[in-house]
Formats: sequence, structure tokens, C-alpha cells
Amino acid sequence: MQDRKEIEIPSTLAKKIEERIKDASFKSVSEYITYVLQEIIENSEDEEETFSEEEEEKIKERLRALGYLD
Amino acid sequence: MDEYNYIVSGLERSGTSMMMQILYRGGAAVAFDKSRKPDVNNPKGYFELEGGKIINRLMEGTFPMERYKGKFIKITAYGLKFLPEGKYKIVYMTRNLDEIMDSMEKMSGPIDRQAEKPLLDKLNRYIIRLMEKRDDIDYIIVKYNDVIRNPKKEIARVNEFLGGMLDVDSAAKAVDPKLYRNVREGDKNE
Repeated sequence: MQDRKEIEIPSTLAKKIEERIKDASFKSVSEYITYVLQEIIENSEDEEETFSEEEEEKIKERLRALGYLD
Repeated sequence: MDEYNYIVSGLERSGTSMMMQILYRGGAAVAFDKSRKPDVNNPKGYFELEGGKIINRLMEGTFPMERYKGKFIKITAYGLKFLPEGKYKIVYMTRNLDEIMDSMEKMSGPIDRQAEKPLLDKLNRYIIRLMEKRDDIDYIIVKYNDVIRNPKKEIARVNEFLGGMLDVDSAAKAVDPKLYRNVREGDKNE
């Protein structure tokens, strides 16, 4: 298990998250927050980039092949 | 009149059509036409507008978003890059990328997985970040495999996000248990 560090968030936000996850597969507020933050922050260098022309074209090629773009 | 535009999104083959079926069966207002017929890849239909080519219209700025206020429409992930300013509630589907590519290959032929998997991953993260950043978007992430495993529980969660507009029991009938066969072994024991 990775080392853990406590952080503080507003209790109103924690309550909102509890509501959102109460029937979901997330086991805790911490797990949910970790998931969301990882999605946002992981590989943040890449994420700050926009797509290169080549990447955009590859995405569009796939969309065309699947019938989602002319 | 409802002030929101409702959208089902996610990468192609992530379960967006399944979610549209769920919402439709659950009594939500869902907008689609018959321009793209059901086929072996989506036997229950695609639940799309304009043959799934909304992305072209969004890129051109000609899609009449106002017309669909209060209704769900399906716009796959890349199209969210071009959403005009508005007020949106988005149900965003995520799914194991290998399963997505399995399904894409059945639909459109072989994929260079080494090249495309990181790109699909990047697109997914980019769009989730975009939704997070935009003040006019409220969203919920729904995992495809959670819906397959426990439809009522996941649909109840979506229903809560939507303010209770669904008949959860009816909506859950849209989920075909046979789809569980397509879940990769590793994910069955998550």
C-alpha cells in the first residue's frame, strides 16, 4: 500500500461526495477523491498539452472508421 | 422548461448506447432518430441523432443544441471538445480500454493497439479534465462494468445525479446480462 497523507477538505464538500458515492463502487470519500485527482493530475505534463495534429488526425480516422465523423 | 441539455458521453464502445437505452427505458426524455439502424454491434440500436455525425455539426457550430433542452442526446467523447456554452448534465461512461478496443475491432477491423491505446487514454483524461474545468458542466462518471454487474445500484446513482427522473426498475431491464461475457477476466474480479 502506498504511503498516505491526510488532507483537509470542507465538510460540506465531503458530505456531497458521500452522497454521490453512497451506492457506487467507491468504498470511501478518500478513494473517490483519489480516483478523480488521479484522472486529472496523472501524467499532468501530457494533460497540459493539446493534441498534436497527428494525434487529432488519428482520433478522427478512428471516428470515421466507426461512423462517427464524415 | 428544463434548463439543462443532458448528454450521454464517453469513448466510442464504452457503453454510451447502453446508457441511452437505460435512460429511455427509465422514462427520461431521450432524443434520437432512425438514421443509424441497429446492427450486430448494437443490436438494440445506437440511440443517435444524425447517424451519429453530431460531431461534424458541433465542429461547424451548426448543431441546434437549444432544440434539445431537457432531453438526452448522445455525443461521444471527442465531440465534447466542441460543446458551445450552455448548461449541461453529462453521464460519462468509462470502460476498460482493452474491452473498448476489442469492441472497436469487431466493428471496424484491426487496430494498432500499441499506438491507439495511449491516445484513447489521453482523450479520455482530456475530456474528463475539460468537464471538470467547465463551470457549465455537471457530470457523473459511470463505469460500464459496474452497470453490468449491478444495474440497479448504478442506475440508482445516476438517477440521484439527475434529480430522480428515472424509474430505476424499468431502466435496469435495458441491461442485458449477456454483456457480462464481454468483460475481461481481470475485471470480473475487481
